[in-house]
Amino acid sequence: MLKITDLNAYYGQFHVLHDVSCEVREGEVVVMLGPNGHGKSTLLKAVCGLLDRVDGAITYKDRDITGWSTEQLVNQGVIYIAETRELFGDMTVLENLRLGAYARNARRMEKRNLARVFDLFPRLQERKKQLAATMSGGEARMLAIARGLMSNADFLCIDEPSLGLQPNLRTEVFHIVKEINRQGKTILLVEQNIPQIADLADRVYVLEEGSITFQGSAEEADSDERLREIFLGM
Amino acid sequence: MYIEEYLDVCISGLTNGSVYAMMAVGLTLVYGVSRAFNFAYGSFYSLGGYFAWVLMVLLGLGGGYFTVVLLALPFLMGFGFLTEKAIVAPLRKRSDWEVKVMMITLGLALFLDNGYQVVFGPGMKSLPPIMTGALELGPVYLTYQDAMIFVLAISGILAFWWVLNNTRTGMAVRAVAQNPVGAKIVGIPKNRIFAATFGLSTVMVGLGGILLAQKYFISPMGGWDILVKSWVITAFGGMGSIRGGLLAAFILGMLEAFVGYWFGMTWVLFALFGVLLVTLAIRPQGLMGKWG
Repeated sequence: MLKITDLNAYYGQFHVLHDVSCEVREGEVVVMLGPNGHGKSTLLKAVCGLLDRVDGAITYKDRDITGWSTEQLVNQGVIYIAETRELFGDMTVLENLRLGAYARNARRMEKRNLARVFDLFPRLQERKKQLAATMSGGEARMLAIARGLMSNADFLCIDEPSLGLQPNLRTEVFHIVKEINRQGKTILLVEQNIPQIADLADRVYVLEEGSITFQGSAEEADSDERLREIFLGM
Repeated sequence: MYIEEYLDVCISGLTNGSVYAMMAVGLTLVYGVSRAFNFAYGSFYSLGGYFAWVLMVLLGLGGGYFTVVLLALPFLMGFGFLTEKAIVAPLRKRSDWEVKVMMITLGLALFLDNGYQVVFGPGMKSLPPIMTGALELGPVYLTYQDAMIFVLAISGILAFWWVLNNTRTGMAVRAVAQNPVGAKIVGIPKNRIFAATFGLSTVMVGLGGILLAQKYFISPMGGWDILVKSWVITAFGGMGSIRGGLLAAFILGMLEAFVGYWFGMTWVLFALFGVLLVTLAIRPQGLMGKWG
């Protein structure tokens, strides 16, 4: 579904990604593991049109999407789900969700998607009048994911959904991600550390210092001594 | 001074304050959303006034102010939208674009004002009152004109508020102001929002011109006073804060009325800047502004 070939990306003067190639097939959850600051988020941003300069080729559903704007990508069904700081803090939960459905293709589905999202996150329905900035870390994370789902995208790029959450909330977030995947979404997710990787991921990549240093199935990752120690412990 | 004179001054302050509020909200909106400062804002005020003058006086169009406002809305919206697309948007990608936007809008202001002078002559133009007659409420004498100006300006602000809070575009405008990156992520076309905001602000100030021109005439350079006042109100209320702008407009409208009454109109700007300086010395972010 998504194919990245020899991607190089830059943040200002910094050459962050070096010839990264990877692939996400339809219906998969692919997890990209890696230490902080080694280019995981940059990779997602490159896919979602949030970087100024990218070299290499990115194809989505066999179309070359390299250099497309975020707006075009959202309309094609690719959405970036950031950590919570990209929410609209002075707006209510409901307004955040409605803005999630801003893209042309999402508008027709707004009602249906809103019902689905409230099904998935009953808390958000209870708090739909609350300002996003006043929500707890876990709730805000749920809102960020829910806002992404409102775009009606088929392909979700989720950036460190468990960052800063307590262990029980982290598990809950991963459960929800898996549930979203079961409902038909393809997911590329980046994380620093995931304990029960095989419950979540189909395949795993490891990104270190801007290059892919491991790729394999979740089981292979789980049985790799080094990975267990660095990325899969708790 | 008798109590009824105070009340007359208050009515004048409220009337002007309501129109200032409408205009300041437009200026602060553009700044809050796109960080662009529009130096041609006052010339857009004159544009509204001349537009109404052409329709009503020159062409003798029937239907009075209702037709004028109906035609002015799309005209001003389109003028603002295209101005943003043509001269502001191309600068956005450059370094120090904020300063460049000030320079180019200043250039536009000079161009427009001189254009008015060439086309309409240097003399003052006036518009017929929207309504004649007055209401005598005991000792207070309230002209229907003042009442209508107040009602229309407040309606304008409420309509603006409604658009901002209840329409998809309005929500997108607030989203871009609050979190540009978040807005980009959900697929909001930022450039179109910037242009739409600019258009909306042109409507606010142009309507202000149509309302106030009945009382204060239209002249080629008449917009500068409005630019200065809108700017003072915006800075006083807090750059980018709509609530602050509304509050500041009424405070300064009242101040203007009382200073004008007690000391004469020449002291009005002096007093406005005095209050602004003191306020900014104590609260540099203005009444309700936020840092950053």
